[in-house]
Amino acid sequence: MSFPRKLCPFLSFFAVLSWMGLLGGTLLYAHPELTGGRIAPPGWLLLVLQAMFIVAVFMRERAAPERLQGIDFTGLLRQLLLRPALWAVAGVGVHQLVQLVSGPGQGTGSVLYTVFYTLNVGLFVLLLAHTNYAWRALVLFRSNERLRRQWVWFEVLLGATLLLRLLPWTPPMGLASALLGVLAAYGAYLSGRQKWVAFLNRRQKLGVVLFQLAIIVVMGVFVAYFLYTRPAFRLVGPATQNAFLLLNAFFAGFYALMGLLVTLFNLPTAGVFEQKREEILSLQRLTQLIQRGQTEGEVYSMFFDSAIQTVQADAAWLHLTDARDPGFEPRFQLQPDQGEAIRQQLSHMQLLDLEYLNNELGASSFRKLALPFGSLMVMPLSSSKRHYGNIYLLKEHTQAFDRENLSILQTFASQTVLSIENLLLIQASMHTQRVQDELKIASAVQDSLIPKNLPIDNWFEISSYAVSATEVGGDFYDFLHLPGRRLAVLIGDVSGKGVTAAFHVAQMKGIFHALMQENPLARNEREKYPVPSRFMAQANDALGRCLEKSAFITASLYIIDYEHGGFVFARAGHCHTLYYHSIKEEVSYFQTAGLGLGIIRHDGYEKHIKNQFYDYNPGDVMVIYTDGIVEARDAAQDEYGEDRLLRMLEQSYYLDAEQIKAHILADLHEFSKGQPMHDDQTLLVIKFKSAQPEAAL
Amino acid sequence: MKITQHATDTTLTLVLNGELDASSSVVLDTELGKPEILKNQKILIDCQQLNYISSAGLGVFISHLQTFQDADVKLVFFNMQEKVHNVFEILGLDSLMTIVPSEADAVAV
Repeated sequence: MSFPRKLCPFLSFFAVLSWMGLLGGTLLYAHPELTGGRIAPPGWLLLVLQAMFIVAVFMRERAAPERLQGIDFTGLLRQLLLRPALWAVAGVGVHQLVQLVSGPGQGTGSVLYTVFYTLNVGLFVLLLAHTNYAWRALVLFRSNERLRRQWVWFEVLLGATLLLRLLPWTPPMGLASALLGVLAAYGAYLSGRQKWVAFLNRRQKLGVVLFQLAIIVVMGVFVAYFLYTRPAFRLVGPATQNAFLLLNAFFAGFYALMGLLVTLFNLPTAGVFEQKREEILSLQRLTQLIQRGQTEGEVYSMFFDSAIQTVQADAAWLHLTDARDPGFEPRFQLQPDQGEAIRQQLSHMQLLDLEYLNNELGASSFRKLALPFGSLMVMPLSSSKRHYGNIYLLKEHTQAFDRENLSILQTFASQTVLSIENLLLIQASMHTQRVQDELKIASAVQDSLIPKNLPIDNWFEISSYAVSATEVGGDFYDFLHLPGRRLAVLIGDVSGKGVTAAFHVAQMKGIFHALMQENPLARNEREKYPVPSRFMAQANDALGRCLEKSAFITASLYIIDYEHGGFVFARAGHCHTLYYHSIKEEVSYFQTAGLGLGIIRHDGYEKHIKNQFYDYNPGDVMVIYTDGIVEARDAAQDEYGEDRLLRMLEQSYYLDAEQIKAHILADLHEFSKGQPMHDDQTLLVIKFKSAQPEAAL
Repeated sequence: MKITQHATDTTLTLVLNGELDASSSVVLDTELGKPEILKNQKILIDCQQLNYISSAGLGVFISHLQTFQDADVKLVFFNMQEKVHNVFEILGLDSLMTIVPSEADAVAV
C-alpha cells in the first residue's frame, strides 16, 4: 500500500472531526443563546475549520484509489451520481422539505436550519471533491507528463484560493475577480481534455449524455440552494469559502458540459467509430484464432462472418478452391446457382482470382444473370504460393461498396491467409512429429526382429553387430535351428533405405521362416529342408511378386551342419564370405557366383545361383557382413574395402569370435571416424571350435 | 552426376560422370524411361567417369533390363572402373548384362 493510501483513514477521521468542529462552531456562532453567550467563537475560527474540512476531504479523495477501472467511463459516472450526488441532492431535498413543513422563512434562525445548512455544505464539499477527482481521471486519461503537471498546478492554485478568506488582507474586488477569472479560464482550458469520449460506443455515449446532464442538474441544484439560502448566510455564520467552492463547482459543471457537448457531437459519428472498432476487434479475433490453434473451418467462418458484418453485405459466399471438406462453403442469403453464375461470369471475363468491385451490376455484363443485387465485391484469398478461394459479397443497392471496403476486406483476407498458412504449418509439423513417433515404433518393432539370443553351442561361437543408418534399416540377419544339429544363418540387405526397405526386411524374415520348414512330402532326409540355392529360388519367386521393379535384395544363406563339421551356402548377390582356413593358415574370400533376389523374376533364376559346400576345421573363422562395412568411407571418401577387412582377420583369427569382431570394428571406426554413416552395417563372426564338449564330458 | 548423350541412328551412348546415387539415379531413370529410347538397337553406357554406383543406381538398370530385352535393345557397359565392376560382379549382374572393356568392343557387340 502506498503512503497516500495509508493516509486515507486518518484523512477521513480528520474530515469528520473538522466537520463536527464546524458544526459545533457554527451552532455556537449562530445561536449564542444556547450557552447563554458565554462561548462565541470568532468568524475566522469557523473559516479555518471550513478550510480544514475542505482540505481533509479533498486530500482524502486525492489519495483514494483510482476510481476509473480500465475504460469503464460509464461506471465512473454512475458511481459519482449514485453516491455523493444522490446524498447531496437528498440533503438539499430534506432541508427544503423541512422548510416547507415549518413554513417559509420561519425556521431560518432555528438550530435545525443551522444543522442542515452545515450538513449540506459538508455533502456539497464531498460531492465537489468526488467530482473533481473523477474529472481528474478523465482529463488525465492517456495523458502526457505535461498535462499531468498542468493538473497539479490547477490543484495548487485552487487550494491557494482557500487562503483568500483567511488572510487579514482582502484584495480589492477587481483583483479578486481577475484572479478568479484566470483560474476559471484554466479550468475551462482543462475541460477541453475529453479524449475518453472517443472510447465509448454508441450505447455508452447515450448513457454518458444522461449522466452528464444529471451532474449538471445536481450542480445547478446546489447553486440554486446556496443562492436561495444566501439571505440566511449572515444569520448562520460568515460566508463560506466562496471562491474555492465556486471555482470547483464551475469546473465540475463546465467539464460536464463540455463532455456533454463533445459526446453529443460525437453521437452521429459513433457508428463509424464503432465500425472501425468492430473491424479491429474482428482482426484481433482472427489473430487470436491462430494462436489457439483452431481449425481451418473456424478461421474461414470467422473471416466470412467478419467480412459480412464489416461491409454489411446482403449476401455472401465463400468459395474455396480445394476445400478438404467439400460441404464447407459458407453461404449467406445467396442461392448456390447464383453464386456459381457469378463465378462463371468472372471466369469468363478472366477476372477470377483477382480483386473485383462492381457497383453497377445491372449496367454490366452481369445484367443477364438477373441478380437481385446492385453491387458486387470479390476478394481472393491467396498467398504467393497458393490460391485458397474467393469471397463474394453482394449488396442490393448500387454504388454500395467503396475502396475503403475493399481495403478492409483485403486486410481481412491477408490475415486469414496468414492464419490458414500458420495452421497448415502447425498441422505439417504435427504430422512430421507423428511420423517420427511412428518411425520410433517401427524402429522398436524392427529391433525385435533381430535375434537377441544368439545360438549357443559348444561347437561354435557367434558374435554379431548391427547398426542402422536411419531409424529403420534394410540389413537383416537371422538364425534358425534345424533338426539334426544344423543351424541356418541368413544375412542380407534390401536395396534402398527407410520404411520401404524395412518392410522388405520383415517380408524376408517371414519368407525365411516359412521356407525353412520341414517338408512332409520329402522323399529323403536331404530334401526335408531346402538347400540354399533352392531356398534362394523360392525366395526370388516370392519376392518377385511384391518387390517394386527397381528394388532388389542381396542375401546369403548358410546351413551349418556341426555334427558332420561342414556347411553349405549360396550367395544371392550378397558380399563375399571372408574365411580363415586353419589348415592352410590362410584368409580368403569364397568366390562364388550368384545373382541378387528380385533382379530377374522368372523361372530362369535358379541357374544363376550355386551352392558351395565346405568341410570346416576347428579354428576356422567365417566373417559375414553387409556392404555397409566394406563401403564405409573415410575423410578422403575412400572405401574401407575387402582387402582391409581381410587383413583385419589375418591379424585376429586366433582370438574369440567376440574379440575378432571387436578388432574389426575398432579398425572400421578408426577408419570412418568423423564421417556420417550412410548405410546400415551388419557384421557376424562365427568361429568353429576345436573342442568337442560331449566327448569331454 | 552428369549425363551426356551421343546418338547415332541406331545407337545411343550415355556418358555417366560422377557418382550414381539415390538422387542422381532419378535423372538416369527418366532418361532410360523415355519411350523413344526403345527405337535404338543399342544403348551404350560409358562408365569411365563413373566413380560410384549405389544400389539405387543399380536398381535403375535392373528395372529397365526386362523392357530392353523385350524390345530387343542391347544394353552394353564399357570402360568400367574396377571397383564399379566389382559391385556389378558381386550382385551377379555381370551374368545378365554385357560389360565390355572398351568402346570399340561395345560397338562391336
